[in-house]
Amino acid sequence: MGKVIVITSGKGGVGKTTSTANLGTALAMIGKTVVIIDADVGLRNLDVVMGLESRVVYTSMDVIEKRCELEKALVKDRRVEDLFLLAASQRNRKDDIKPEQMLEICERLKEIYDFVLIDSPAGIEQGFHNAAAGADEAIIVTTPDVSAIRDADRIIGLLQNLDIEQITLVLNRLSPTLVKKGNMISKNDVLDILNIDLLGIVPEDPDVIASTNRGVPLVHNNGSPGAEAYMRIARRMIGQRIPIPEMRDDNFFSNILQWFSRNK
Amino acid sequence: MENSIVKLRGYKDGLHLIIKPKVALSEVETAVNELLDGMNPPLSGTSIHIDLTTSPLTSEDMKELETHLTENYNLVVSGVNLLDENEESPILAAPATHSIAPNIQADDQTEFGQAKIVRHTIRSGQTTSCLTGSIIIYGDVNPGGEVVASGDIIVLGTLRGNAHAGAHGKLSSVIIAMELVPLQLQIGTYVNRPPLGQKPRGYPEIARVGAEDVIIVEEFIKF
Repeated sequence: MGKVIVITSGKGGVGKTTSTANLGTALAMIGKTVVIIDADVGLRNLDVVMGLESRVVYTSMDVIEKRCELEKALVKDRRVEDLFLLAASQRNRKDDIKPEQMLEICERLKEIYDFVLIDSPAGIEQGFHNAAAGADEAIIVTTPDVSAIRDADRIIGLLQNLDIEQITLVLNRLSPTLVKKGNMISKNDVLDILNIDLLGIVPEDPDVIASTNRGVPLVHNNGSPGAEAYMRIARRMIGQRIPIPEMRDDNFFSNILQWFSRNK
Repeated sequence: MENSIVKLRGYKDGLHLIIKPKVALSEVETAVNELLDGMNPPLSGTSIHIDLTTSPLTSEDMKELETHLTENYNLVVSGVNLLDENEESPILAAPATHSIAPNIQADDQTEFGQAKIVRHTIRSGQTTSCLTGSIIIYGDVNPGGEVVASGDIIVLGTLRGNAHAGAHGKLSSVIIAMELVPLQLQIGTYVNRPPLGQKPRGYPEIARVGAEDVIIVEEFIKF
């Protein structure tokens, strides 16, 4: 029996879709069977980020309206074994799907696959409720700015109302240089307010935009800081104990100073 | 309303029932019933002062009025102020000149319904209220979250959102938090907010209505 995890944030543009694509790919790369579901009906783009746009034939709407079998609607990834995408319909609206229908799809998929990751739309309306309907756990993605944190806090409250107890946090786009200068909210400030377990930190990484545009998830790009961060998060998701590294400054000199102070 | 026999006004020390001079007890009682029955949510469990200028009400009449308020409306009369006829009535006097020391004595005697205990953090978009007494929160109140109580509010965590104590006008209500960095505080009808960029101070603080009719915040040492 697998796990259904909704990836959500409240606010848009904080990296839900990027995180879903990368965590799904990373989990499949370490040998798990994974389905990623785009729950953003009407504004789908998980298929684009995955580079599978041209292969989508059927969507979750076709499954719900019994135009095709669930297995047939799953699009196999181009690069990794055991990774599948269930795309969202672009023609429909978010309220065309009911939470019970999403729940049924999730229940069926988690019988077969290890992980079912759901990319939630922004907002707190029907789209969010559909995305969260079948979830056993939730991953909140937030960036270190006040509006994203405020929305994340709201979403955590809503998830708790839905009896989703296991809620973890991915702090995206943290820039160590800015935190050091005091221009960015630090990790500890975010955790202080949200008061949930930290699953991982993804540093600001210019490679993300390039990889999104190419339709190749960042984790294929070995060695980039973002890719490493997502791989570590995926390993934590399968229960490995991997410490969250303290962010180093980009600045060469302060790195050296840090190195000295560590060796005292 | 302005010429009615009884009026209800909120002052720093709580609610005052102001009785027009030279009216008989039966008329006062009718007017009180009319006023209190029309209130939504009903005024109950709180304490009030009675203000009256020279009037034909005897002390037996006052006793009877007190009993009436207690039995039918669950109100506690915490004091009777006899005002000189020539003295300006408290309604006309600006609230700022109505000098009342922070009066905790009267409230010590007041049983204030039951306190509500909330065992989780109040997050953005969530509201918790208790209109029959005080609230104690075992957690934080985050920005966008709201707590409303007719009595006191005690947060055993960080108060970052909005809090409204004394929602029925009890101005002796207080707000206490382990860390007090709210968006906005309200006690009775008074609103205040901390200066922009306020940082947590690292010790518990108490907010109450001070002598100048503004909400003041100071370190909470003891009550």
